[in-house]
Amino acid sequence: MSLTAGELSAIMPLLIPALGACLLPIASLDSDQATVKWIRAAMFFIALFALTGGFFYLTRLWASGAQPSFGALHMDRLAQFGGIFVLVAAALAVLQLWDHLHQEGWVKGETLSLLLFSVTGMILFAATGNLILLFLGLELLSLPLYALTATVRMREKALEGGMKYFLTGAVASAFFLMGSVLLYGATGSLDIGVIGARLAQGAVDPIALVGAALLLLGFLFKMSVVPFHQWTPDVYDAAPHPIAGFMSVATKGVAVLALLRVMGMGLSLSAVAVPMREAMAILAVLSLVLGNLAALAQTNIKRMLAYSSISHAGYLLLGFVAGTSNAYAGILFYLLAYLAMNMGAFGMLSAFGLVGDEVSFEQLKGLGWKRPGLGIAVSLCMFSLAGLPPLAGFYGKYMIFKELILTGHVSMAVVGVLASLVSVYYYLGVPVALFMEKPSEFAEREAAERPAVLAPLAGATVLVCGILVLVLGLMPGTVLNAFARPASQEVLRNLP
Amino acid sequence: MITAWINSHLLSFIVFAPLLWGLALLPLSERQAPLAKLLGLLGSTGILVIAAIQLLHLPADPMGQVYVERFPWFTAVGVPVDYHLAVDGLNLWLVLLTTFLLPVTLLGTWNSIPKRAGAAVALFLMLETGMLGALVAQDLLLFYLFWEAMLLPMYFLIGVWGGDERKYAATKFILFTLSGSLLWLVALLFLAGRAGSFAPGVMAQAVAALPPATQSILFLAFALAFAIKVPLFPLHTWLPDAHTQAPTGGSVILAGVLLKLGSYGFLRFALPMFPDSAARYAELLAVLSVLAIVYGALVAMVQTDIKKLVAYSSVSHMGFIMLGIASMTVLGTQGAMLQMLNHGISTGALFLLVGMLYDRAHTRRIADFGGVALKMPVFTAFFLVVTLSSIGLPLTNGFVGEFLILNGTYTSGFAWGRALACVATLGVLLSAVYMLWMVKRVFWGPANEREDSGTAHLHEDLNAREIAVMLPIVVLIFWMGIHPQTFLGQSERQVGQMLSLSRAPHGPGFALSAEVK
Repeated sequence: MSLTAGELSAIMPLLIPALGACLLPIASLDSDQATVKWIRAAMFFIALFALTGGFFYLTRLWASGAQPSFGALHMDRLAQFGGIFVLVAAALAVLQLWDHLHQEGWVKGETLSLLLFSVTGMILFAATGNLILLFLGLELLSLPLYALTATVRMREKALEGGMKYFLTGAVASAFFLMGSVLLYGATGSLDIGVIGARLAQGAVDPIALVGAALLLLGFLFKMSVVPFHQWTPDVYDAAPHPIAGFMSVATKGVAVLALLRVMGMGLSLSAVAVPMREAMAILAVLSLVLGNLAALAQTNIKRMLAYSSISHAGYLLLGFVAGTSNAYAGILFYLLAYLAMNMGAFGMLSAFGLVGDEVSFEQLKGLGWKRPGLGIAVSLCMFSLAGLPPLAGFYGKYMIFKELILTGHVSMAVVGVLASLVSVYYYLGVPVALFMEKPSEFAEREAAERPAVLAPLAGATVLVCGILVLVLGLMPGTVLNAFARPASQEVLRNLP
Repeated sequence: MITAWINSHLLSFIVFAPLLWGLALLPLSERQAPLAKLLGLLGSTGILVIAAIQLLHLPADPMGQVYVERFPWFTAVGVPVDYHLAVDGLNLWLVLLTTFLLPVTLLGTWNSIPKRAGAAVALFLMLETGMLGALVAQDLLLFYLFWEAMLLPMYFLIGVWGGDERKYAATKFILFTLSGSLLWLVALLFLAGRAGSFAPGVMAQAVAALPPATQSILFLAFALAFAIKVPLFPLHTWLPDAHTQAPTGGSVILAGVLLKLGSYGFLRFALPMFPDSAARYAELLAVLSVLAIVYGALVAMVQTDIKKLVAYSSVSHMGFIMLGIASMTVLGTQGAMLQMLNHGISTGALFLLVGMLYDRAHTRRIADFGGVALKMPVFTAFFLVVTLSSIGLPLTNGFVGEFLILNGTYTSGFAWGRALACVATLGVLLSAVYMLWMVKRVFWGPANEREDSGTAHLHEDLNAREIAVMLPIVVLIFWMGIHPQTFLGQSERQVGQMLSLSRAPHGPGFALSAEVK
């Protein structure tokens, strides 16, 4: 059996990170990995090398305009978008991990290897319409994440969080599989395009309806949409900060992309699409309300960010409710904005050197004046998350709300803007702590005794995120037309 | 070459130069704070000079827009957004007021910012970009962006350099403003979807095609956002908190320009775009304005803190401006235009003066003073002039504005017009009561002999810098009082044209001057 060049180029984006993931355990075999600096450096170098390699391969593929496929694996524009998205998020996370794991005193090669395996799964997940491959991708991305959540295992919360994630995630995967089986039973195909075409003929088949609902549940669980969100705060709290950021961005992102492929492309014409869309509308509103209200009450920054990520899942779902070509392009733009602002928000925790089980607003007090560049970048990310113009997050919301209003869902848009009004309050908590409050005397004394925290790599990622938030906000049209629109074209081609 | 470029991009230059200048000042360290202040002052003065030289060249009665810059900005998502800036009769003087108040504020509060002055100066300059941009933007989405961009610098100015309750006040400020503007954004997007454009003229045509109930809802969404900013009674509660907690400079800019953008929004967008709804709700607006006038005055009367008194007087004065706009007569609207400038200058000056007093005495309680005139005669003289202008004494600016507004309301033809004008006149009387009573308690009488009193801490009168700040303000107060035509000429025809269209019950919708060509 031999591969053609086209087939090879379709699976290369998966092979590169997978190869890196296999190399890493060899590099970290040395039991001295925690003590010898160059071994640690080599591990991180391999991880970054694999990620940038994949990134350059995909960007060249994007630039060439080729859309190769290998069996049911389609490395089309949407998949390339997803791959680049995941690789960038992972690269930022790896840079942050270098500082964070050193602060925790827990530098292990396995962490990076698991991360790369998860990246491989994510790229696969976003690149196929075959239910079996989707399930494989889902598992390949999930299993390493369960382990990554618990990776710093001397921390009390880590194991608990990892276990919670594993148990709930396994149930969601089982539902996803069940849904695939039911759809196969109803239509006799595993390909979502064929399934959609068969369902489009005739009335709603109850078995297909249940199958589609269970499939949707699997996606919504990964997006942490209410009511499948309960794991989110505990897991983010347990995971190392960069991993939590990576999960919130990349997992949610590929789940959205896969949902776009399944709902927008596959099932959009069939009769099951209507109840699915109604369900998504209700769940979007629930996520907005619950996510934002719960985030208001948090004193722990990571839990606040976790609830905020639930509310962002709600905004993204609103785009599906609108369901127009512009809305889908808007969703992709939103994801780009979310990548920049949320990696910046989680990166801040590593950059300021916050460790331990509880990272509270208390620990941020007055830090903005000590490191103004970082403080400004973090504030930009927060304002963008809150959706204040002229930053990236505003345009993401703008594009989605506009389509909602144009398709007649004005009341949902009103709920959306009111939810983002509430969110302003808790996002402002960060700049308030950074710039407007003085550290307590105890904290000052403690800070004087310890050596100053310098996290150059994590700090640099936060700065990059801050700049990205600004750039995306200043030229939203360019970015939309260059990336989001071509990628969503795949989906649009099959829209009525 | 540079001058040619500046001429063709004058407004972009005036709008964005402060932002870039402010960003350039950010890296300066704490020790270089005096340098930052100096550069900030020079930069903002430069902007003032350029704006004044270029914009005062305008003909006395510009029929259309001048210094237009217009090109499509991003057309990607369905509705195209234009980068469209222009100066016309409605915003000319507000632009000049803004550029004038910036250097005045920076010079006037030179020593009032104890630490991190560089960052504060940078924020003031960024704020200037937001305000000027909102004033000259002719595209509604662009206006919205600048409108929101004003929030953050002011938020930080209040939250970092403010008083003890600063975090509360800053958060209240931003949440109040956003709650209005986010709903307004929904209305805006709805309209943009119907009109396929963010140009006010095109949108007005789309409005005319909508059923009246929808028009009303959209108008109320617009009105809510602007009314919160003004702030109109009963949405005013954020203002006293923001004013008392903000540093002196923040208060000056807040009262001087930020509030005006609310009433400017009514004039520029809400009324011309919704002629029918505006006529329907004009009386409600007028009643709320009169309530604001009387309520603000009564509450100001019982204040024990001078700054809070000025803040409530602001509520009362902004009520006058809104009353003039709601009268929908040329007289009343012209009066409102003038009163916007008056209020910016007089109340801004009052906040500056209160700040100067506070810097010396470290208290603002009225009871802590008494006999200040004996210790600071020059200060007292300035304070008295500004007070009288704020009350609206003839020959000062306040009189002309209030007279035109009351006259316009009386002749407006609305059922309650005359009654409202009478009640509002009561507000003029009340303003004399609370201001003069405060002046009596603070300045006249024997010096307060208590050791911990404010008067005891007053050792020196105004210095040359402070006098230099106050002199141009006093000149303006009298100029506007004696020859108001300088400031009214540019807007007269435009206001008349706007109103002639807006009263028509089912007219073709107000065509903005750009579309008239």
